[in-house]
Amino acid sequence: MAYIDIQNLYKRFKNTVAVNRIQLGVKKGEMLTLLGPSGCGKTTTLRCIAGLEKPEEGDIVIDGRPLLSEGFVQPSKRGIGMVFQNYAVWPHMKVFNNVAYGLKLQKMPKSDVRKKTRDVLELVGLGGLEDRYPSQLSGGQQQRVALARALVRNPKVLLLDEPLSNLDAKLREELRFEIKSLVRRMGITAVYVTHDQAEAMVISDRIAVMESGNIVQIGTPQDIYQAPANKFVADFIGTMNFLDGEIVQIVRDEEAAYVHTAFNERIRCSIPSTMEAAPGKKVYASIRPEDAEIFTAPPQAKDNVFKCIIAHKAYLGNFLYFFVTVNGTMIRIQVQHHLPYEEGQELFLFLDPKKCTILF
Amino acid sequence: MRRGDTFLAAFLWLVIAFLVIFPLSILIKESFKISGAEVWGIGNYLEFFQDAYYLKTFGNTLLLSTLLLVTTTLFGVPLAYILARYRHWGKTIFTALILLPIVLPAFAGVFAFIIFFGKYGTLNLLLMDMGLIEEPINFIYGIHGLVFIQALHMLPFMVLGLSAGFTNIDPSFEEAAEVEGAGGIRRFFTISLPLCTPSYLAGAVLVFLWPFTDWLTPLILGQVDFLPSVSYINIAYHFTDVHRKYMGIVAVVVSSVFCISLFLIARWWVEKRKYTGLSKGTTSEGRVIEPGAVMKTGAYVYMILVAALVLLIPVVLGLAAFSRRWVFEAFPTYWTLENFRVILLQSPDMIKNSFLFSGIALVFGIAFGLPVAYIIVRTRVPGKNALDFVITLMLAFPGIAIGVSYLLAFWQTIPIATHWIIMPLALFARRLPYFLRMAHSSYLQLDPSLEEASEVSGAGKIRTFFSISLPLLLKGVLVGVVMFFIMAFQEISTAIFLYRGGWETLPIGIYLNWHRGMEFGIAAAMAFLMIVITFILLLIISRISGGVLKAAWGAAEK
Repeated sequence: MAYIDIQNLYKRFKNTVAVNRIQLGVKKGEMLTLLGPSGCGKTTTLRCIAGLEKPEEGDIVIDGRPLLSEGFVQPSKRGIGMVFQNYAVWPHMKVFNNVAYGLKLQKMPKSDVRKKTRDVLELVGLGGLEDRYPSQLSGGQQQRVALARALVRNPKVLLLDEPLSNLDAKLREELRFEIKSLVRRMGITAVYVTHDQAEAMVISDRIAVMESGNIVQIGTPQDIYQAPANKFVADFIGTMNFLDGEIVQIVRDEEAAYVHTAFNERIRCSIPSTMEAAPGKKVYASIRPEDAEIFTAPPQAKDNVFKCIIAHKAYLGNFLYFFVTVNGTMIRIQVQHHLPYEEGQELFLFLDPKKCTILF
Repeated sequence: MRRGDTFLAAFLWLVIAFLVIFPLSILIKESFKISGAEVWGIGNYLEFFQDAYYLKTFGNTLLLSTLLLVTTTLFGVPLAYILARYRHWGKTIFTALILLPIVLPAFAGVFAFIIFFGKYGTLNLLLMDMGLIEEPINFIYGIHGLVFIQALHMLPFMVLGLSAGFTNIDPSFEEAAEVEGAGGIRRFFTISLPLCTPSYLAGAVLVFLWPFTDWLTPLILGQVDFLPSVSYINIAYHFTDVHRKYMGIVAVVVSSVFCISLFLIARWWVEKRKYTGLSKGTTSEGRVIEPGAVMKTGAYVYMILVAALVLLIPVVLGLAAFSRRWVFEAFPTYWTLENFRVILLQSPDMIKNSFLFSGIALVFGIAFGLPVAYIIVRTRVPGKNALDFVITLMLAFPGIAIGVSYLLAFWQTIPIATHWIIMPLALFARRLPYFLRMAHSSYLQLDPSLEEASEVSGAGKIRTFFSISLPLLLKGVLVGVVMFFIMAFQEISTAIFLYRGGWETLPIGIYLNWHRGMEFGIAAAMAFLMIVITFILLLIISRISGGVLKAAWGAAEK
């Protein structure tokens, strides 16, 4: 059994279903991210684990202990630490008192409280700031206080609700790595909520992608990027070109299909192992921008070579985007090196059939 | 355009100088006059602080203030918490009832409670009839009665501030404490309540200063040994004894200085610990709790109790208004419309005056308040903070100080006290901060880029104000306008010094008729009439802020 086991969790707000009977297991010591657009139910799921929301159905088991089915366990009795989106660092208490709050409630001897608080503040890099008020700290420092407060009681589970979303981009990136290595080092099981896919890729051992109350896909960041379960996941994680069309022919033994799109009557795509493909089915022929290639002379390939025109290009420093049109339909191509093609130039586009997949 | 702003600010300062600084400086000047001699000096002040009687009144007032603060705090904190946090039926109606005393004239409560809780008032008569008591119980005569009556009047100020405070606390502050292991009660005392201190203090100062302003309640209850009552008696009744008049003025100045110091200390303290703006990305909606059955029942009983006490005021006054000779009876037995006939036939001028004076004060208020709010929020004219500061200080000034200083200043030096325009001017000056606050906060909510977009599109400043700012400001300003009108409508502590024959307003009429002993039916009828008018105005407010405008600005309810 998983360390955190979410069974059939169902939560409704008036007439909207926020979490729709999801199943999810988090392994001990794992960092799992709930990723999805706003309103997908990721924060509600996290708040259910914390005990800040009462789900209508289902159970949550942490370390073999059911939190719902045998009577509602109060948040304070769940052995969790939580970092809130807006830090929730109490403005009327000094840093020390913010962090020591939970320890004092446990009736721990004063000297132990002091030592533990000092230690954890040192750990998050706030040593020496014990006597500051939160208003005297920067946003990043406030978030470290929140992290220290969540860690000080050695929680079984650490919950993080978009902890970096209020920080500026540079700091956000820095703190990502810091949180990851800190949690790793302490060996805590953590559930992390974010809508930022880059953040999720960096920080997680596994990602659960959510959409309107359901978990659409669970896997390592690599799994999810390389083999997205559907169009939603592919679109949400990274960038993907989608050409809508219809399957015209299936090549069984090669796990490939020909799709009729606006490009051409026959684009050859591979079929992901999880998908049921049949002729006549409406699908998207999909390819990542970095997998599409352009050439001045037609490449030697049986399928998927198209004449294209460069509509425009964009220079982003470490790479280059070309937007090319084929029969009036535009797709995006990403190349690493500066290629000397100009807008309006005619080229040949090649979509590698192994990298071009069909999605629903 | 910066020059235009500077001119505007200069003009507003002139108005302030004329209406606030000049009269108050005359007041202070008078307090240094020594009677019988053409000299000036601090003799009056020395006498004040050496005279056992004045010191006693000062001490009494402080004691009353302290008791009042303790009482309103003890009753106000749970009430505010219930109103702000609990999900319950009839929230609107209970909130309205509990806040009602804000708009009821303070003296209306006193009269109603004398009739109901007095020595041979309804309650004592009922208890004696039932044989529960032999002798009437003294419910209201004494400091306990003063605390009771004033606390009921000031409770809304406490509740308003606190419940806004409770609502504005970011829910995650309390959730974090919950996760950290703090139970409900500990969470309340370590997190919620401390975070509310700024809003608590705002209400607490108004409550604490009230006994320094309200001379009428102690006077009616026969407890005159309080600073404002003594000032009133000295100045209004003993004008032939010049020395007593000067001592009265000294008492006014002393309580003004005390009030303002206290106000400034509280303000400084609040500024020091402003917690707002610290948390980001919050939902505007506060935390709402579904209480357990026991708590819910308790909350209802408590709210009903407070609401019933408040409702007593209009009910008792209503009974008195439609009857005559209601003495030594638990309930009136002789019903009549005579009281209303007398008011409408013999003194319709009072009603007319009330509307006229409050209306003119209101026009002044808008014409002055909006430009001031504009200067403070939108410009960088030097001295704008001082302007804000001076006007806000008026909150702390006892009404009696304004009344007396106007009388002194506008009698001979600039003789406008002989014209009725002095009445609306005084009403306007006294309630200005209330209107300014409203205009100020709605100006703050108006995104400057909306105005900038209009200017970029080619509209001038003035056109932008009328076609963009004003329509968007209307919501906040309209509520402010009606509240201002209600406040001016019930004003007595200032007006009583300034009125002359023919300028009586309804509150003054009530006061005078009550003095005429058996005519309290007429006074009650007038008070009842005022309550009805106020109630209609309140309905208009709720329409503005809750009905039509809520639809236009999007419903706040989730």
